[in-house]
Amino acid sequence: MAGRAVSALALAAALASAPAVAQERAAGLRPDVTSAEAGFWSVMDDAEAEAKTRADLNTDPALNAYVRGVMCKVAAAHCPDLRVYVMDRPFMNASMAPNGYSEVWSGLLLRATDEAELAYVLGHEVSHFTENHTIEAHRAKKVRANVALAATVVVAVAGAASAASAGTASEAQSIMDATGNTIDLIYYAQIASYFRFSREQEAEADLLGQRKLAAAGYDPAAAPESWRGLITETEGSDFKRVRDSGTRNSVFSSHPLSSDRIAALDGQAKTLTAGGDRGRERHRAAIRPHLGVWLRDDLRKRDFGQTLVVIDRLAVSGEDLGVLNYYRGEAYRMRRGDGDLPRAREAYLVAAVHADAPPATWRELGDIRRRDGDLAGARTAYESYLAKAPQAEDAWLVQDSLSSLQQGQ
Amino acid sequence: MRTIFRALAPLAACLALAACATVTSAPAGAMKVGAAYEVALGRDWSDISKIMNGRTDKVRLLSIDGPLLNRLYLSDGLEPGEYLIKPAAKETPTPVIRRDMSASERLEFVTDSVVALEYQRVQLVRPRPAKLGQGSGVRFDLTAQTKSGLDVKGTGVISEQGGKTYVLLYLAPAEHYFDANLAEVEAIIGSAKLG
Repeated sequence: MAGRAVSALALAAALASAPAVAQERAAGLRPDVTSAEAGFWSVMDDAEAEAKTRADLNTDPALNAYVRGVMCKVAAAHCPDLRVYVMDRPFMNASMAPNGYSEVWSGLLLRATDEAELAYVLGHEVSHFTENHTIEAHRAKKVRANVALAATVVVAVAGAASAASAGTASEAQSIMDATGNTIDLIYYAQIASYFRFSREQEAEADLLGQRKLAAAGYDPAAAPESWRGLITETEGSDFKRVRDSGTRNSVFSSHPLSSDRIAALDGQAKTLTAGGDRGRERHRAAIRPHLGVWLRDDLRKRDFGQTLVVIDRLAVSGEDLGVLNYYRGEAYRMRRGDGDLPRAREAYLVAAVHADAPPATWRELGDIRRRDGDLAGARTAYESYLAKAPQAEDAWLVQDSLSSLQQGQ
Repeated sequence: MRTIFRALAPLAACLALAACATVTSAPAGAMKVGAAYEVALGRDWSDISKIMNGRTDKVRLLSIDGPLLNRLYLSDGLEPGEYLIKPAAKETPTPVIRRDMSASERLEFVTDSVVALEYQRVQLVRPRPAKLGQGSGVRFDLTAQTKSGLDVKGTGVISEQGGKTYVLLYLAPAEHYFDANLAEVEAIIGSAKLG
């Protein structure tokens, strides 16, 4: 029985072995209508049709043209095969379906320091498409399921035969227990091998994405930098569980650790032409009209520590400081941790000296000063708000606050 | 022994099902929201509080045609630290009442609570002075969309009285359902007796 168990372990190890490397698909290729891949395309065609009606679809033509332009730079000959949709979702994410339907989420656009970092992520997603990762994963999953089933049958039959020839009931029970454990191991190995396959595809897409980035004339250093930014943001979370998530991985993780991805990308960057375009100004110009809405969406996730890291990154260039400091103040005001309200007041004050500060800066400044007992300062701030936004729907509320201050309430 | 277990199994299952959350009737007439808070319903509603995610003991949720077609949140006085929508996990917090909230923060509490219900593009519009019972508050309207893009409208009132915050919030699809029951909701808001 021990020998058979070892054989089963060998089978389990075989299940967890690396998949064959996928071949890059030809540009313009469509799957045969009778193939499994065509089935995936059909499902994703439906998902794409649904995406076009979703509430969070961003319909700004200039922003969509910008993102599509970057996608086409890294996709090169595959550009006509791809459609990209910008979704207003406050998470750092992008996706690629096997039919060429791709989504870029606003959280990614907000977090990319420049066009090169966006191009790297898009290059990663394009690589999933060009390498047929979805269909390869499906095929590998089928093969593994068949191997696991065969192994299970072999182990079960062998276990039953051994138990039948056992000398005592307790020996038979021990053999059946061992058989059950081995079958469990085979299934765990099957599941773990699925996730390992996924991690390997992600690692492959990382390296291919960086090569596409460099081939399109961008700086390949942008690739590891985008991951470093994500690590910094994770470390800035208000929640321990989120902070810890960046350093934990298991056999059931679908993506490699960010630190491993950085090491691989730093290594490959040495083999690519250093320098290249970063496109920081182009990127900021494209996202500038959406900064306020996206930062508000980010604040509504209520992980204010992470939002503050994002704002710090955006503020490094010294642009949009009215908007950025207003939302920095909002993050502190909404979090209300120890010392946060004074920090919020300082941020609003910094915002207020910049021409792009939203009028709400003065309303919030008035509220904070009022809480602090600075009634003259509150009055000045409320008056500034009413002067800057006389038509605001909440002007009567601020006027009410002002009146109560004047009445000494 | 096994026979006895088999015989008792259906009974145990029935008891378990009876203990599960259910929808109950909220008949026309006076409805107590809390110890010192009641409203008058002009028609029969269903109380779906116990089947909804994010519910708290202080919030009653009524509907006529089901939660996707109309829902009316009625909160008893929320105290500092309490929610309209309870968070599913520590890492996904929802807005809480604070002791020192400004008027605009109370409106933000409503907007962000609706966002926590996973509505998209939520906009609070037309804030205006109002009464809830004998106390003053702010009436507001809302526009939003479901994830799949269906337009939703809302209306309600928020009022802070005696250190407690009372919220009445009605949400329904803009097409047909919102207007179909708006007069009833307006009457409910007008009927509130507090204190």
